[in-house]
Amino acid sequence: MSWRADALAVWAVVVRNALMASRNVFFFFELLFWPIVGVLSIGLMTRFLGLTPAQTSFVLIGTIALSVVNVCQLEVAYAVLMDVWAKSIKHQFLAPIGIRHLTIGSWLVGMVRGVALFTLLAVLAWWAFGFRVFAAGGGPVAVFLIGCFLNAWIVGVFVCALITLFGNRAEAFAWASVNLVLVLAGIYYPVSVLPPPAAAIARAIPLTYFLDAYRAHFGFTSEFAAPIATGLGLSVVYAALAHLAFYSCVQRARRTGLLLKMSE
Amino acid sequence: MSSPAASLAIDAREVAKTFRSGWFRPRTTEALRGVTLEVPRGAIVGLLGPNGAGKTTFLSILATLLIPDRGSARVLGLDVVRDSLALRRRLNMASGRPSFLWSLRVAEIVAFYGRLYGLSGSVLRARVDRLIEEYELTPYRRVPYSELSTGLKQRVALAKSLVNDPELLFLDEPTLGLDPDVSVRVRAHIAALRRERGMTIVLTTHYMREAEELCDDVAFIKAGRILDAGTPDELKRRIGLGDVIALRLEPTAPAWLATAAGVLRCTTNDGWTECPTCSVGCRPRA
Repeated sequence: MSWRADALAVWAVVVRNALMASRNVFFFFELLFWPIVGVLSIGLMTRFLGLTPAQTSFVLIGTIALSVVNVCQLEVAYAVLMDVWAKSIKHQFLAPIGIRHLTIGSWLVGMVRGVALFTLLAVLAWWAFGFRVFAAGGGPVAVFLIGCFLNAWIVGVFVCALITLFGNRAEAFAWASVNLVLVLAGIYYPVSVLPPPAAAIARAIPLTYFLDAYRAHFGFTSEFAAPIATGLGLSVVYAALAHLAFYSCVQRARRTGLLLKMSE
Repeated sequence: MSSPAASLAIDAREVAKTFRSGWFRPRTTEALRGVTLEVPRGAIVGLLGPNGAGKTTFLSILATLLIPDRGSARVLGLDVVRDSLALRRRLNMASGRPSFLWSLRVAEIVAFYGRLYGLSGSVLRARVDRLIEEYELTPYRRVPYSELSTGLKQRVALAKSLVNDPELLFLDEPTLGLDPDVSVRVRAHIAALRRERGMTIVLTTHYMREAEELCDDVAFIKAGRILDAGTPDELKRRIGLGDVIALRLEPTAPAWLATAAGVLRCTTNDGWTECPTCSVGCRPRA
């Protein structure tokens, strides 16, 4: 497939996801309502508990990261979910495109939504709690966001794989998967407080390292030697595995007929 | 000189497919039990049969949506499993129960699939405009899919299926659930595709009349097997399919009725005599 055809297929998915997102009130809630409620409620809790500004920044970084990952990974999952809901999935697998076009196209839209959400939550956290997310500087913010988006991509592609493996029954994974990250990746606490087996799993999640690296700019001692390199390395491996899983599940769906069952 | 295989749009041999479902209590359904079919380029061929006969399964294998368990199928000279990506560029499909993303508008749906097939810029715009005009969708081009009637959805599906100007088009029960007048128009569109573009078309249908009107050849498929194939009239004569005329005759139906021109046979039940018929030129069995 030529670069031009690749770019066009990705662009097709970008346009489709953007159009769908702009016309669905549910997407608006995802982008604004829940993340704002999350930052406000967690921020107010830090006040109630009398946490120091440093502790508050620790928790709010985690809250913002979780919201960004959630919004972006849902968008990636929509690459398959929207067509499953509309029972039109066979048409996109009838077209001469690969799964990478679906996952990259929807990821691009997810990143746009993620940046918009991050900016909004940063302003909210500064206004309501005096926490300056951008205080770390442009470079660390960019690396932190890239880490969040890579994690979202991986989770979203795994969700796509599960949906093509199990059908509609698996759509709950789209909303549940991020909660697993919440428990394990050190969103509200350092991974050192986890019991050893859970801490070992946390060390296998790339987001753990990106959170660690970003928090280091706010005065917290880094728990890992080279968090950004480790996070990026793990992300590349997981992204490849996620795509392999998605491809295998699509092929399996072609063998089992699930692709047709999920269509008109 | 081209080989006989090169003149075939479809060359399927002993294609078999069994569906297995259930994780804990596995169930199997034998959908296709060795289907062999040849379709010449430029022909319209119908797959006729009852529900669950395997028509859609066979069509889906040929369209690369399903992978067969056994047998081989070459479509436009390409293997449906090994060359599936290259093949997808050259074919397309529409079904009688079309469904697309509900909040996309008619023009956006056609354009989305056009981009997936590599169209862009003025070429894409011209293709979308032409298809929307051809299928009389101009007043609806900005209407969301969810607000369209069944007939309009069908026309959107047909427009979408032609966005890549396919050499081979699969139509899965293209007039299912449509009003008779809309069915007539859809059939006219299908006939025009072959007439004007020389497209090869394979369609599935429940309706002998539809097959008779559109198809050069028809394969009658039942329980995963092709029971018979031929021209519509040959098939009607051999397997006794056709429009049925039911008559109440007193005291009984005359013996000559069963051998009258255009009548395939007559059976009497509960005072009613039912006679399947075939069109002019179709001779009754001797």
